Amino acid sequence: MTKYVIRRLLWAIPVLFAVGTVTFFLARALPGGPFDFAGDRSLPESVVRNLERKYNLDWPLWKQFLAYWWDLLRGDLGPSFRSRSLTVNDIIKQTFPVSFQLGMLSLLLGLAIGLPAGIIAALNHNTWLDYTSSFIAILGVSIPNIVLGPFLIWLFGVKLGWLPVARWGADYTEFYLGFIPPMTAKFWRHAILPTITLGTALSASIARLTRASLLQVIREDYIRTARAKGLRERSIILGHALKNALIPVVTILGPLFAAVVTGSFITEQIFGINGLGRHFVQSVTNRDYPVIMGTALLYAVLLIIANLVVDVLYAWLDPRIRYE
Amino acid sequence: MARLLDVRNLETRFYTQDGVVHAVNGVSFHVDEGETLGIVGESGSGKSVTVLSIMRLIPSPPGKITNGEVIFEGRDLLKIDEEEMREVRGNRIAMIFQDPMTSLNPVLTIEQQITEALELHLGMNHQQARRRAIELLKMVGIPAAEQRIDNYPHQFSGGMRQRVMIAMGLACNPRLLIADEPTTALDVTIQAQIVELVKRLRDEIGMAIIWITHDLSLLAGLADRIIVMYAGQVVESAPTADIYRNPRHPYTIGLLQSIPRLDEKRRERLAPIEGLPPDLIDYPQGCPFAPRCRFAVERCFEEDPPLEKVGPEHEAACWVKPVGQEVLAAWRAAVLES
Repeated sequence: MTKYVIRRLLWAIPVLFAVGTVTFFLARALPGGPFDFAGDRSLPESVVRNLERKYNLDWPLWKQFLAYWWDLLRGDLGPSFRSRSLTVNDIIKQTFPVSFQLGMLSLLLGLAIGLPAGIIAALNHNTWLDYTSSFIAILGVSIPNIVLGPFLIWLFGVKLGWLPVARWGADYTEFYLGFIPPMTAKFWRHAILPTITLGTALSASIARLTRASLLQVIREDYIRTARAKGLRERSIILGHALKNALIPVVTILGPLFAAVVTGSFITEQIFGINGLGRHFVQSVTNRDYPVIMGTALLYAVLLIIANLVVDVLYAWLDPRIRYE
Repeated sequence: MARLLDVRNLETRFYTQDGVVHAVNGVSFHVDEGETLGIVGESGSGKSVTVLSIMRLIPSPPGKITNGEVIFEGRDLLKIDEEEMREVRGNRIAMIFQDPMTSLNPVLTIEQQITEALELHLGMNHQQARRRAIELLKMVGIPAAEQRIDNYPHQFSGGMRQRVMIAMGLACNPRLLIADEPTTALDVTIQAQIVELVKRLRDEIGMAIIWITHDLSLLAGLADRIIVMYAGQVVESAPTADIYRNPRHPYTIGLLQSIPRLDEKRRERLAPIEGLPPDLIDYPQGCPFAPRCRFAVERCFEEDPPLEKVGPEHEAACWVKPVGQEVLAAWRAAVLES
């Protein structure tokens, strides 16, 4: 197993190189450049020339490419062309922890609600409990964050005044280990609404998948064998069916994790959270090449790690899967 | 011998989108203590649904037991509550299934799958249950049982898995073992080994067995009595020897004629039963076998014949009830001519 993990991690190097290369040339292939506009006005030709010279954009592409990787190997993701006082390292350091916290909490909320809801629905297949939870799940999947977020703000922030409406993480700079927040009441008060906003859709899709997977497993022969042994329905579901049913759920958790911890553009915008999500979007419209590269590579690293964890979990869930 | 199981007029239906499937239609039979009953029939004849109904393991919905009694050890299993039924399952009545590849849980070790019934029904602690499980594995002929017990099902061959299934079934010393085509998925040499194993264990433990198969020849040295099922009904019931020597229902005769025999001098062609079994949604009037029957008379298409006594312990559901070896010869000749 250790050997397998090491081999997978070594494989990550060419994968990251490929992702970086494709992203690098795709970004450059976009028409326009980073200094076409400053606000509404376009910059004078000479200023653009000077800026391009400053950031080595006048070099031939292959030289820029090699220079980028050379810097990257030394842990330097380069400067941001737009936020000129910040490097990409700064941006990630400042915004990623909050996005990670939001994503993790939402995912945990999604699992905490989605798994039990899916199990309850499957256990009570075709009863009102099943219909109710399926209805709520469809509702949860269908309501976009851009509707749910403002609604929660209106209800709990404005009408009832129970919770702050925005600006999670605006005040803290230091986190334990770089990403673990202080567990203060203030943190939680800020975290509740965005977590619910992002977590609702997650719990709904996890519930639907768990239900479908469990219903399929319940029809398997070995579940009939378990019934024939006289086991209680609870032991049959928890002891015999769940481990089998979780395999598809675990499969989606990998990509889902990578997707939510790197920030949600919409949720972060609604709640005024200084997260990573907007940099994914804005870096492209701004042609901010180093930020595009930095966010893409970060996403790739997280995806690789998450999928590796999923594969290791497979081996634990299903003994037929063994890695030599 | 004391009566262990008495099934009376059992009726099971499946309420599907296409209509009501008449899977089991008034089936009655009994099993005595220590007796081995064979149930023979083709796919869809209702033999599996019959025993699953006895165990109350019919998936519901769509399945439903609509009529009948299942008297086991003096109680009607169809009337007791689910809690009491669980006490019976795996404890007093055990069941082994057709496909050992899919009937064992792939993510649990053999130990987990054998010991859970022991801990549940016999109240053993984990140590005792493990020791008993190893004992059971040795009993069914698993080599190196002490090590193999910690393996997963995929580490066993098909025949070995069926042995594990049998060990699981015998864990709590059941009074009745229901074997639902336990050898169908295995190759012939392994089949014979499993049959021998079950016979040996039956004689050691003294339990009764219901052995379901579509292979009439398999039951020759195994069953004390045989019932033949067709379209959810019992069409013939007799001691094993009578079924082979003196079959009285045309369907049984047809089944016997389609078995290859090694003891006959001339190599004769097998005589198949022409046609298909009836649609159980659109259940036919009259005898369900009549459209395929070479002996059918007018009455067969109008009235469904009841099971009637044709000898001591021998019953057949047929208006004609053809007799004797010459009938077999006539049947064979007629089939081969056409």
